[in-house]
Amino acid sequence: MAALDAGSLPIAVDGARKTRRHLTKARIRWVVVALFLVFSTVGGRLVQLGMVVQDNTIEGQTRDIITASRPPILDRNGLELAVDIRVPSLFAEPRRIIDVNEAAEAIHSVLPDLNVDWLRQRLTGDKGFVWIKRELTPAIQDKIMQLGIPGLDFVTESKRFYPGGPEASHILGAVNIDNQGIAGIEKAMDNNDVALLQQLGLARGNELAPVNLSIDLRVQHAMRDVLADAITRYQAESAAGIMMDIKTGEVLGLVSLPDFDPNNPVTALQKDSFNRITAGIFELGSTMKSVTIAGALDSGKVKINDSFDARFGVRFGRFTIDDFHGKHRILTVPEIYKYSSNVGAIKVMQAWGKDNFRAFLAKLGFDQPEPLELPERRMPSVPKSFSEIVAATAAFGHGLSVSPVAMLRAMAAFANDGLMVKPTLYKTSLDDAKQTYQRVVSEQTSHEMRYIMRLNALEGSGTRMNKFAAGYRAGGKTGTAEKVINGRYDSSKVLALFASVFPLDNPRYAMMVLVDNPHTEPGQGGHTAGWNAGEATGRIIARVAPMLGISPDFSPMLDTELVPPELH
Amino acid sequence: MIRTLNILLVCSAIGLLIGVYALKYASEDLAAEKVQLARQIERQQADLSLLKADWAFLNQPANVGPVVNRHVAELSLQTLTQDQFGSIDLIPMRLKAPDTAGLDGLFEALNQGVDPIQQLIKESN
Repeated sequence: MAALDAGSLPIAVDGARKTRRHLTKARIRWVVVALFLVFSTVGGRLVQLGMVVQDNTIEGQTRDIITASRPPILDRNGLELAVDIRVPSLFAEPRRIIDVNEAAEAIHSVLPDLNVDWLRQRLTGDKGFVWIKRELTPAIQDKIMQLGIPGLDFVTESKRFYPGGPEASHILGAVNIDNQGIAGIEKAMDNNDVALLQQLGLARGNELAPVNLSIDLRVQHAMRDVLADAITRYQAESAAGIMMDIKTGEVLGLVSLPDFDPNNPVTALQKDSFNRITAGIFELGSTMKSVTIAGALDSGKVKINDSFDARFGVRFGRFTIDDFHGKHRILTVPEIYKYSSNVGAIKVMQAWGKDNFRAFLAKLGFDQPEPLELPERRMPSVPKSFSEIVAATAAFGHGLSVSPVAMLRAMAAFANDGLMVKPTLYKTSLDDAKQTYQRVVSEQTSHEMRYIMRLNALEGSGTRMNKFAAGYRAGGKTGTAEKVINGRYDSSKVLALFASVFPLDNPRYAMMVLVDNPHTEPGQGGHTAGWNAGEATGRIIARVAPMLGISPDFSPMLDTELVPPELH
Repeated sequence: MIRTLNILLVCSAIGLLIGVYALKYASEDLAAEKVQLARQIERQQADLSLLKADWAFLNQPANVGPVVNRHVAELSLQTLTQDQFGSIDLIPMRLKAPDTAGLDGLFEALNQGVDPIQQLIKESN
């Protein structure tokens, strides 16, 4: 024991318990290290997965936009004008295709309109996504599924479908393959808010609230039917028409023929199929006399029972303006309107003053593009100030070109107690419409205008119209504008117009009808507006008035009540 | 004591493990079912959109018009003209008591083989 004690450190031996504790501690440390490693690996992997950006795009576009939908468009009674249908679109993942030749030929067997070489080229390579064909039918989808080729798949896309085909084409417009509006109200809606919704990815599924247009599909159909008939009946180049509720400004029908099929937007690019009502500006001919006379009566400088000398033409330097239906006598104001006397209209305008006339045109909005929501519109061409001769020709509708909508609006205002409403293509309540009212003539002038409009239908150039629309108390003004061909007025080529309002005892609807370059119907009277645009107007009124809840009334009392007290 | 506790803990651990896995599989099944239902809904919505479009197409005046025109002769259809409208005032008020004499007259006439209504129609033509 002493040897152990001397000169050396004492040997310390740990007890068994202590040794075990040390060992346990070491083991725990190792376990902690191992666990830390395992968990940090798991954590690292999670971070890595979180960093991965998922490829959510299809050829540069996100999937959301591809399947983006548009709100259904309904007419005022809830009939569908445009709906979204869900259709499958075929795409391929070339990197997953094993045998390109086999795949190309199999696809060709189902879709024979695709070129095999093009398919082969399309399916070769290392791309992750290529379109094969978009917007297929479910039947073709089934057939391709049955081919069992790996690397082919479908996405469901929204496709716009117009059940009426060309029926309301110029109002609706069209969309491109990515469901973006390219014309008509579809484009107008995009400019407002639909495009934004699509960008935000909110416009998916069928959740968008439908849009109600002011169009009445029955009226639209009747108008299109009658105008198509007018083109063949009068061998015309084109025809167009628009009808509006004069109280609310809602457009019930807008037709411009030739038109196109919005289900096949390529047809919209064909020549002549532009919207004549909104994108066309025309010299409106004698329909302008309504404006001239209404303005002159409203100024108080001309009274309804005044007379004007229309015995001789009006001379301006080398030119003499004379009447087409010349009476060559002294005419009263209603007679000027009834016989559509150019000389009379000039005299009325001169009594009123050319600057007042120009100011009245500005008041009626003839200087502005028409205010409908469609993107297709054109700036009217009206001289900034009128010289004597320009004012004279403008008094009967030549030398200034405006949209038919501007004239429609003016006619509606003359009938609606002198209050001009803003026309719209969206369903509107009367209260909202009243916010847009602008007084353009007095109530008394409106009363007198209703009388001369009806008088023209009973005795003047509107008798052909009244023959077809008998009982519906319609009235209006014809206009036969010579067209400018190579810088000269050509009397053989005319634009026939009819601006009308019905029923005049309680005016509700205004209409404007244009027939471009009409010919005499075999066995009928002539090629002036009363014979074509007038007849077409009468046929439209006879068809749509019962739908709009106007029943015919042949009581002569209604017409005599329209006569102003000065003329009794 | 500790042993029983351990056994208890092991048993409960096994029980919980089974429970958790059962829950996991059940939720996976449910998720699969949900996806399947979503697919089915999507397909049915697609079908519905087609049917709705079909319905809208068939209801269009542009579609109904030609059908009517084809059957004008068979159904002897006429375009409504303005003089065919009437108003409620044109219909006479109902009689206070049945017109027995008139009815007797009608039956007598019918018994004799004369149909007054047909006669009226003939006269008006």
